[in-house]
Amino acid sequence: MNPSSIQIRLERVVALRKRYKAIRYFFYFILFLLVLYSIKITVIEDTDWERIGGLGMVAKAMGRFLPPDLSVVKYLFKPTVETFMIACLGTMLAVVLSIPVIWLGAHNITPFFAVTYPLGRSLMTLSRSVNEIVWALIFVAAVGLGAFPGILAIAMRSVGFVAKTTAEAIEDVNTGPIEAIKAVGGSRFQVIRYAILPQILPIFISLVIFQWDINIRRATITGLVGAGGLGLTIQRQLLMYNYGGVTTVILAMLVLIGIGEVVSYYARRAII
Amino acid sequence: MIRLEVKDLKVRYNASGPEVLKGVNLTVEHDDFLAIIGPSGAGKSTLIRCINRLVEPTSGEIIFEGTNIPSVGRHGLRKIRRNMGMIFQEFNLVDRMSVMDNVLSGRLGYTGNLRSLLRWYARADIHKALEILDKVGLSDFVDKRADELSGGQRQRVGIARALIQEPRLLLVDEPTSSLDPKISRDVMGMIKTLSEEAGVPVLCCIHDVQLAIDFSNKIVGLQDGLKVFEGPPSRLDRSALEEIYAFEVL
Repeated sequence: MNPSSIQIRLERVVALRKRYKAIRYFFYFILFLLVLYSIKITVIEDTDWERIGGLGMVAKAMGRFLPPDLSVVKYLFKPTVETFMIACLGTMLAVVLSIPVIWLGAHNITPFFAVTYPLGRSLMTLSRSVNEIVWALIFVAAVGLGAFPGILAIAMRSVGFVAKTTAEAIEDVNTGPIEAIKAVGGSRFQVIRYAILPQILPIFISLVIFQWDINIRRATITGLVGAGGLGLTIQRQLLMYNYGGVTTVILAMLVLIGIGEVVSYYARRAII
Repeated sequence: MIRLEVKDLKVRYNASGPEVLKGVNLTVEHDDFLAIIGPSGAGKSTLIRCINRLVEPTSGEIIFEGTNIPSVGRHGLRKIRRNMGMIFQEFNLVDRMSVMDNVLSGRLGYTGNLRSLLRWYARADIHKALEILDKVGLSDFVDKRADELSGGQRQRVGIARALIQEPRLLLVDEPTSSLDPKISRDVMGMIKTLSEEAGVPVLCCIHDVQLAIDFSNKIVGLQDGLKVFEGPPSRLDRSALEEIYAFEVL
């Protein structure tokens, strides 16, 4: 290797790096423009700046949420229990509804594969792709205000996750016991009851507890559109411009969610 | 008296795949302990599984007490299966159920769906299960969960589950492959004694030639889907073994 050949290659490498650098900065610049444009059309043009006023006004508006209005505490017991009950009953209903969906959507037990398997899978996707708020809006429209539409919304939202995960567990089950139950002359039902159910039961219960925990959160939110519980209380406090009361309700939600988290942690640990 | 007759049985797992069984004939008498031996991949397990149609035969006849098994419908198949006990290599117990429930599952062919949902077995079945668990030496393990037992104990649960069916034929698929030599011998002895006591013929595939010689009264040698030997253990000499196992025995 003589020095001049290194010189030549050096020039080439440096030139190449310069070009790559130029391309890179060009992309950074494009990205920067895109971010600016997004901020312009969302935050700048879509916000009512005159109403917000100065920074002091923003702080003042936030300040209205403090201190919490403790006088509403005595009205919170019932909606808190209601939220809790919506989550529990919604989860139970989801368990009941998920059983046929699991049956249809697990490829090794589905009765008529070509028809029922896609059906089961679609039901799972439908349940999961519609948000609980949307489910709640639908059921409030269907059955009116209160806890009942909340229960239905929570159940519909949970079915997909419970069914999908359980169906996948069923597809991974050890096939030995299935053969054994078939070999003693067991029916399809008996194969599911004796060879499959015992294998997936711990997973299923753990999933349901996990869903119950999430459903407590969901139940606090669905109330905002009229489906009962603490969400409904928040909405009423907002309508009365009692922002301190809103803070109190949010604190109640935190306590309830915390309880749910602790209970589900210990319950799941007891099973596994 | 002939209990089971297999005629020209052929199996291929898929239309384009190789033939696993290429026309096998065999007969099981009412007091036979028939051992099927042969190298891995010869089709021993496939043959056993065709008898109760865990594997669907491609062609051929399997006559069991006057019924041609490949031609029966789903309902008929359940009736046939409950008359055949099966013992598996990997035991195939339901791990999360008790020993008692595993044994009782042998009666599912006689139990309706509603009763089986709630595990309501007939009192007579529970009585029978206790008797059989005594015979296989597991009377102290009745309420233990199946996954708490050792390999040998698990296989004895498997034997009990097959016997409580009061079968007319016992299908045994490599019962000792997951067990150590001493326990293998105990398990084979137990299958032989209890099947004789119950008057059930046994069709057993097994890769351990010595166990086949010691426990069976008739041996069938399979190689590459074809029967290459049939006769009593006394006729299974070195040249017969060389033929069955081709170059494997040297």
